[in-house]
Amino acid sequence: MPNAIQIRRKARAWQKEFDTLAPKVGDMAPDFELRDVDGENPIRLSGFQGRKPVTLIFGSYT
Amino acid sequence: MKGTVSLHDLYAQYHERVEFLVIYIREAHPVDGWWLGGGIPGLLLKLSGSKAATNVYDPKTMEERRAVAGRCEAALQYGIRTYVDEMDDRVNRAYAAAPTRLYLVGLDGRVVYAGGLGPFGFKPAELGAAIAKYLAQAATPR
Repeated sequence: MPNAIQIRRKARAWQKEFDTLAPKVGDMAPDFELRDVDGENPIRLSGFQGRKPVTLIFGSYT
Repeated sequence: MKGTVSLHDLYAQYHERVEFLVIYIREAHPVDGWWLGGGIPGLLLKLSGSKAATNVYDPKTMEERRAVAGRCEAALQYGIRTYVDEMDDRVNRAYAAAPTRLYLVGLDGRVVYAGGLGPFGFKPAELGAAIAKYLAQAATPR
């Protein structure tokens, strides 16, 4: 099992790799379809186009 | 803390004009990963009054992930429905979202605000300012 330092290095490498690819202001937001915590009520980001601006709040429980 | 803006505040103020989506992504600090529940970090977390859990293992299946997301949704009480990223972390990767991040997407589907990486770049007040500015511009006839 990797130790704490290895885990931190891996997490930071992940952030560095994907941060450069993340959408910037003015870019089209990558579309997605996700379901809720019950696996129901699918939503698609592009479904809000022309209807409402959307705030995306990413996070986890820890 | 006086002067701080929470996501609850933003939701209360703007939810009729802006859609709020909470997206649950891979656990940032699970027990079997980069755990912050022990020692000084754990103590600081408790003292901060954070609602973050310190006893969660990284979900290994979609069912486990949905279950943890449901606990998170209930604990944080945003009043906003939570959507769950797939096990391949496709949305997390597309937005470089881990551990936390905020975005505002305009009516045309383009990014209006891209927050910095959490936790230090997680700034609800900045998002609030971006929402206010965007809505004001959208309401101005051209």
